[in-house]
Amino acid sequence: MWDVVIVGAGVCGAATARALSRYQLRIAVLEKGSDVCAGASRGNSAMVHGGFDPEPGTLKAKYNVLGNRMFDRLCEELQVPFQRSGTLILATSEADMKSVEELHQRGEQNGVSTVVMDREALLQRWPTMGEGAVGGLFCPSGGIVCPYTLVIAMCENAARNGVQFYLDTEVTNISPLEDGWRLTSQDGSTFDTKLVINCAGTHADRLNNLVSTEKFRILPRFGAHLIMDREYIKWVDTTITQTPTKLPTGGHTKGMGIMPSADGTVILGCDSVDYTDPDDVATTSRSINAIVDYFKTFWKYLPISAVYPNFPVEGVINAYGGLRPHPDRDDYIIGEAPGAPGFLNAAGIESPGLTAGPAIGEHMAELVVEKLHPQKKENYLPGREICKPFREMDEQERRAAIRENPDYAKIVCRCEQVTEAEIRDAIRRPVGARSVNAVKMRTRAGMGRCQGGFCQSRVVELLCEELGLTPLEVTQAGKDSYILLGESCSHRFEEVAP
Amino acid sequence: MRQVDILIVGGGSAGMAAAAAAHEHGAKDILILERSDRLGGILCQCIHNGFGLHRYQEELTGPEYARRNIDVIRERKIPYSLNTFVLDITPEKVATIMDPEHGLQKIQAKAIILAMGCRERPRGALMIPGTRPAGVITAGAAQKYLNLEGYLPGKRVVILGSGDIGLIMARQFVMEGIQVQEVVELMPYSSGLTRNISQCLNDFNIPLRFSSTVIEIKGQKRVSSVVVAQVDADRRPIPGTEREIACDTLLISAGLIPENELSKAAGVRMTPSTKGAVVDDHLQTSVPGIFACGNVLHVHDLVDNVSMESEAVGRNAARYVSGQLADSEFAACIPVVEGRGVGGLVPQYICRTEEPEPLKLMFRPRGVYQNAAICVLADGSCVARKKSLVLTPGEMCEIELDRKMVTDAIQVCVEIQ
Repeated sequence: MWDVVIVGAGVCGAATARALSRYQLRIAVLEKGSDVCAGASRGNSAMVHGGFDPEPGTLKAKYNVLGNRMFDRLCEELQVPFQRSGTLILATSEADMKSVEELHQRGEQNGVSTVVMDREALLQRWPTMGEGAVGGLFCPSGGIVCPYTLVIAMCENAARNGVQFYLDTEVTNISPLEDGWRLTSQDGSTFDTKLVINCAGTHADRLNNLVSTEKFRILPRFGAHLIMDREYIKWVDTTITQTPTKLPTGGHTKGMGIMPSADGTVILGCDSVDYTDPDDVATTSRSINAIVDYFKTFWKYLPISAVYPNFPVEGVINAYGGLRPHPDRDDYIIGEAPGAPGFLNAAGIESPGLTAGPAIGEHMAELVVEKLHPQKKENYLPGREICKPFREMDEQERRAAIRENPDYAKIVCRCEQVTEAEIRDAIRRPVGARSVNAVKMRTRAGMGRCQGGFCQSRVVELLCEELGLTPLEVTQAGKDSYILLGESCSHRFEEVAP
Repeated sequence: MRQVDILIVGGGSAGMAAAAAAHEHGAKDILILERSDRLGGILCQCIHNGFGLHRYQEELTGPEYARRNIDVIRERKIPYSLNTFVLDITPEKVATIMDPEHGLQKIQAKAIILAMGCRERPRGALMIPGTRPAGVITAGAAQKYLNLEGYLPGKRVVILGSGDIGLIMARQFVMEGIQVQEVVELMPYSSGLTRNISQCLNDFNIPLRFSSTVIEIKGQKRVSSVVVAQVDADRRPIPGTEREIACDTLLISAGLIPENELSKAAGVRMTPSTKGAVVDDHLQTSVPGIFACGNVLHVHDLVDNVSMESEAVGRNAARYVSGQLADSEFAACIPVVEGRGVGGLVPQYICRTEEPEPLKLMFRPRGVYQNAAICVLADGSCVARKKSLVLTPGEMCEIELDRKMVTDAIQVCVEIQ
């Protein structure tokens, strides 16, 4: 019997797993995707929010602020790229300045310091800020993180400390046991556990409603983003967004923005559309056009417009979609589910969920400790062992790395300068990469301007070498997503040749 | 620091032709840097024929064409370094390079020839909406899987874009028993060569639909279908024209982009028109002593032209290192501008010096023109004219010019009449 089973390996599940791995507990994480970080924690704006925006007194405000404060240490321990590059809400009208004032006040109430800027102050910091930008609200504690690197790192660290991960494992049923719960997955395997932690993202309502007397609903709220080439990062040093907009279906969106990504590309997005399918992250022309059209107008206000006067659509290298798990009550649902002792929810963790996640994980761990009173481990390891990305090394580090391991001198992904050493490491690490996309998420191989056109075949070969597969068995993202569908006739002739 | 007279970045057809020509014109201290484990570049995976008709008056396959180039490099004992990645080039012509045997090294060159070739435009850059399943692949990547590794990237294919590699792949897919449903092209004309449309599509009864595009990709694990729609004159999908085509693969052949990251690092001035370097008629860039040739300068249709252009650059680089060719100085040059119907013009500047060789201007028509003439204007008056029955964006145009006609001009303009 497990002590704790965590359902979902997104930011909350991973943070909870990592926090609990400090204790002597038997812990399993069940993830329905073929890799960790397969849902909302993957397809988002990658922002670490300051916390001035949520309604004061809500759980959103509480965990946003607590989470934000954790990021420096967390990302240092786990070697995850994170920068407090600040966020700016840009006002382009007097009405906008009013919301800027309101947000500043709200920030004060939440304990988050922000600076109201007029045009002069804007120009002082960004001399090329466009005509028509009248002022804004700057939040210095806002930042950017690579969301999947963060979640993968937390999972790796948890695994290093003994947590077991079960991928491709979707919980289809939960039934009560005398002293806990029995979870059944789609293939019939069962997991008996004392406690369940529901971090199932857009599926959290389904799980809760199987056991709790208090039902809730998660509304999948779609948003799309565009990624721009590294070329533009020089002129995007901080996140700049419009003022928040209220949504007709409840809650609000922080709206469109331009963000430097922690990996050196630029992210644009996102819009907000209510969905019903909790797994539908397909991008739509409607969403893509909404972003493109928005930036065609908004671009002129941005500092980058001094270099690129018009939004350079040709600089877009990819688009992605994600679903926010919007709860029907407009605040996070955290704690033991009524009528279901030992079933704990961390549900409805929509934006700023990536920021709040680590703090929610700590809180979930506290709830578990209160119930099970476990001993602390003496040999807990807070960090992870990882090959530093070649891309981020200086010349001396590069020389040293190559001396130690010549695979560091073999560039596989030329656009992102990912070496063979990093790819092999990504496959060998705990919760290691098992597909082309999993390699991509861990190393950025295939994430650059050519999108894997040149390097994918080499990544396939490395997966084959490391995992003992044939190229026909390698998938793009797990289960049935095969990249190659057969052998060519030359291949077949070779076999019959004497 | 290691020194070299001429450093050539890229061991494909451009780099090899430049090296051979530089060697023939007296430069002996040459080094070719090649990222992969063999010379030849992309030619190695182009196993179809049709190469070399202009240069060798013979029909060769890609590997055969590459072999002839490699033989020259070996005969002349021109040094080359394989598995070597260039990390950086400075405006002072110091290259930081890396290979597993020697690790990181710096090389100071007197002249650098950029010959890195080009890459394919991927799905992401086209912003095709839909899911992100396996089975969306660019034509060159599919070609590599099929020809170099012996694997089929799909069994039922729709091809987006009528670029040459896509057309070549359509034919090869049919020969492999793969079903090619159709080719859809956004523009009302093809960006590929006429001979490829005839030999790769028409001969195999593969339909080519103009003014159409893929507006959605469907499928969870692997592509299950794509939705194709016709587009209007502004290239926007026309509602009501959507057709869903079942397939397991979407092959993308929608344009090539010069790989200029190193050029930019070196501070070379670029132009959006070709997405390559701005050059004078010696194909010298804005950074003195750095030259560019082949697909990194502008995307060609035929490797023969890449070789011939690169030979000229090799000669010029040899002259440069021996002091016979001056540093580039665009301010002292005659600017060449794109007039009506002309895009991707190369070179952008003409030196006001006396040269033995005639001047050649290359460009791509912006649309399809019938019974048209290419006209070169020097300060408004026509100095060269060439008639053509048909001009299309799929085939690069060139026009030769007598230097004496323009030496005193303030500006030269190329247009289609």
